[in-house]
Amino acid sequence: MKVTFKIWRQAHSDAKGEFKPYEVNGLTEDMSFLEALDHLNEHLVRSNEKVIAYEYDCREGICGQCGLFINGRAHGPHPHMTTCQLHMRSFKNGDTIIVEPWRAKAFPVIKDLIVDRSAFDRIIEQGGFISAQTGTAAEANSILIGKKVADKAMDAAACIGCGACVATCKNASAALFTSAKINHLNSLPQGHQEANKRAIEMTAQMELEGFGSCTFTGACEVECPERIPITNIAEMNARRTKAKWMG
Amino acid sequence: MIALTGLFLCIFLIVHLSANSILLLPEETARRLYNSYATTLRESPLIKVVSYVLYLSIVLHMMYALRITLANRKAKPQPYLVNKSNENSSWTSQNMGFIGLLILLFLIVHLANFWARIKLGIGDTVGLDASGQKDVYEITYHLFQNIYFVLFYTILMIPLGLHLNHGLKSAFKTLGFYHRKGLRIVAKISLVYALIMAIGFGIIPLIVFLK
Repeated sequence: MKVTFKIWRQAHSDAKGEFKPYEVNGLTEDMSFLEALDHLNEHLVRSNEKVIAYEYDCREGICGQCGLFINGRAHGPHPHMTTCQLHMRSFKNGDTIIVEPWRAKAFPVIKDLIVDRSAFDRIIEQGGFISAQTGTAAEANSILIGKKVADKAMDAAACIGCGACVATCKNASAALFTSAKINHLNSLPQGHQEANKRAIEMTAQMELEGFGSCTFTGACEVECPERIPITNIAEMNARRTKAKWMG
Repeated sequence: MIALTGLFLCIFLIVHLSANSILLLPEETARRLYNSYATTLRESPLIKVVSYVLYLSIVLHMMYALRITLANRKAKPQPYLVNKSNENSSWTSQNMGFIGLLILLFLIVHLANFWARIKLGIGDTVGLDASGQKDVYEITYHLFQNIYFVLFYTILMIPLGLHLNHGLKSAFKTLGFYHRKGLRIVAKISLVYALIMAIGFGIIPLIVFLK
């Protein structure tokens, strides 16, 4: 299998980037997309060129580290999938594949296809946790949580923070990420005590970081590998309003 | 604020369309009812207050939309070389600003045709009907004898319908309504509402033209 990659190359955050074409031979349909990039990098090493920088870790779709904008879609052409789960069989022999980094003011490019997502960390620092005494693990049944609530919290907690929601959003809004984190903790008894503070401070940080606002295009929930539904954003709006007016 | 003003404007449109439907009645009845309705609107002090809320809503809706659009553009300074947003979202949802501008264009012409002439007295003086009321029916009827105006009024209801469909259901989410089944019903109501408004407002000028 042979494809042409057209990849964004940028030496460092202040450098001017550009797309560079790379013809790659000897790929198979069973290779993952990242393996195809590894394959290209091996060639670059042998020909003494600088390798393409991109992020990955687990390569099994659960860590949220990888994230590339491939042929006009976050994480490639399929919905609800991480970049590492994409395989070359999704492309045809002879295809040109355009690979871009996530684009958002709050996600500046560090190098080539790697962006700085620490804005997400700073949102988490504003309340994406519960304050509790540490020590030995508490008895699991000391706080009873209904199945419905537990499921809902777990669905929101599934967010892996990959940033595809921001990448695909025309406004670079981080509302899906932030809402998943707020709703996860606020719907559980452990998170109740700081619920209002969390809703206000995490959304405030989200705005401070320079993310845009949600206009409900719905693109984020299509690209989200964890299928976090957009209703989370509506719920976050409700929680924030309640916290501001009645908190 | 965009959601709140938008919802108010959605309610206004229902009243507006109901009034417009008077134009579909036989000519003499339509003239009498339409003109007295217009007189009531002009002279009722309560409706005067509502009309100021309406003007304010339109202005605020546009101002906040402009502000939010500029801020959102700043949040995404560099576009993608290729972006297949049509595969994960509707064209309408991606282009609400542009669609809004088309509606603004319509609104300017619409206000110049009616509001400026009847309320501000700009342009030709407005005639009186048999009972001495301003003959708003005649102005409407006369305007819709011109095929270009009819086409303008009809075609520009397409962006209105698109805008309402996305706007109504989004307003609910912005205001924090997050019941999943409820939102599915809201989406259906938005579609039906948008269709009724677009077809209703769009077809009346055509019918008046063909009368």
